[in-house]
Amino acid sequence: MSIEVRNLIKKFDDRAVINDISFKVNDGEILAIVGFSGSGKSTVLKLICGLIPFDSGDILTSEGDIAMVFQYSALFDSLNVADNISFALQERKDLRKKYKPEQIKKIVSEKLELVGLKGIENKFPSELSGGMQKRVSFARAIVTNPNTILYDEPTAGLDPMSSTLIEDYIVSLKREINAASIVVTHQMSTITRTADRVIMLYDGKIVFEGTPTELLKQETPYTKQFVTASLEGPMKMQA
Amino acid sequence: MITLQKYLRQSATYKVFSHFLVVFADFLDTLGKIAQIGFHVLKCILKGEIEGKELLAQCDRFGVSSLPITLSIVGMTSIIVASQVAHEMVKQGGGNFVGLLMTILIVREVGAIMSGFAITSMIGSSLASELATMRVTEQVDAIDVLGVDSIRYLFVPRVLSGAIMMPFVVILASVVGVLLGAVTSDMFAGLTYRAYFDSAWLGLYMKDLCVCLLKAATFGATISLISCTCGYFASGGAKGVGIATTKAVVWSFIAIVVWDMIFAVLFFF
Repeated sequence: MSIEVRNLIKKFDDRAVINDISFKVNDGEILAIVGFSGSGKSTVLKLICGLIPFDSGDILTSEGDIAMVFQYSALFDSLNVADNISFALQERKDLRKKYKPEQIKKIVSEKLELVGLKGIENKFPSELSGGMQKRVSFARAIVTNPNTILYDEPTAGLDPMSSTLIEDYIVSLKREINAASIVVTHQMSTITRTADRVIMLYDGKIVFEGTPTELLKQETPYTKQFVTASLEGPMKMQA
Repeated sequence: MITLQKYLRQSATYKVFSHFLVVFADFLDTLGKIAQIGFHVLKCILKGEIEGKELLAQCDRFGVSSLPITLSIVGMTSIIVASQVAHEMVKQGGGNFVGLLMTILIVREVGAIMSGFAITSMIGSSLASELATMRVTEQVDAIDVLGVDSIRYLFVPRVLSGAIMMPFVVILASVVGVLLGAVTSDMFAGLTYRAYFDSAWLGLYMKDLCVCLLKAATFGATISLISCTCGYFASGGAKGVGIATTKAVVWSFIAIVVWDMIFAVLFFF
């Protein structure tokens, strides 16, 4: 087991945005969380990595780090690529005395190579394209060799080719570090190309759980509406 | 038929009262956040968790880049005061006390308070908008997810640089203020430099200098702490950045005046 969520509830102003959900992700597995905007997908990630507290339930994780790749990369714009990637190694209490500058340089170079961006250590985020920024944020996320990686809409705002590249990196990172991964997305290509399992959220609850193939079969009203992107169905868009 | 409850909700008194309650609740909330973060920052400083490189960068930003605007504002205020006071005092036979009056005024009040306002406008607003932008672009969340204490990383060098650099800025601004007071008194009232500086030292005690430095350090730390806190808790995109910046400037201005009042009561009452 790498991560298990049990009966998780999160309320904002007495409204349950996450309403009693449970799921489990094993090491080396990618779970996609899908659903329409406002269904609570990103909130689940923020609850798992402790950015916001939950009201009740349990989140159990194996020992090790949880990393997160943010929707718009969230690179530190005042730091160059090398400092962005090595941020945790330089600033975290338990790590900063562990590594010497030469070791940090080597780690940064390795991680950059892993995401196909060798030799851009001295560039600043503003000098990179959206896809490159996303890949640098991947490198930053895996610098501490986490056992869980959370991706918040990793292909949002990218062109189809960059999206494919990012999707390939998600799969290759899974193989490389055998981490449990959770990908929040509403793009079908990301689901089919990366996920081993899928859960669909609506109104804070899980309304579908299965494989990407089962999702595409559209056997339930929820999956049918999601896959066909129809306005008709059990899921109502908030005005 | 309109019920009493509905009538009350629609009444102007109810709206004014409920708005006042919201403002008061926000005031208490902000005050609580500032105090909470202030204690956390103090704890980090006492533990010695200070990044030397980042502290130097923030000192440069706080002390060096703010100097032109601070010196200009304190200098111009001194010119305005001296031009109005010197002529009248010379006319009334009190020309020998112009230097004394200007020095007391600048060292005790004008130097610190006008520098505080200048630094709030320039550095405080920049700190608030910087942290607010980091918040709305999830950079602060990224710091936390990477396992780094975002308050230590962002606040400690900024608050500490405020406390360290502000006394230097105030001393420099006060010197410029006193000198420009002498030049203005000479130009507007024909008061000699000798007459000005002979009395300038009479009313100046070590206590004044110490209080001035302590006040400046307090102002510096307060401006940084308030500005960073307002930015740190920003929400809601570009509008949120604007609101946080405005709030930081308003709160810092008020805090400077309140601190000034506390210092006046504690040391000169």
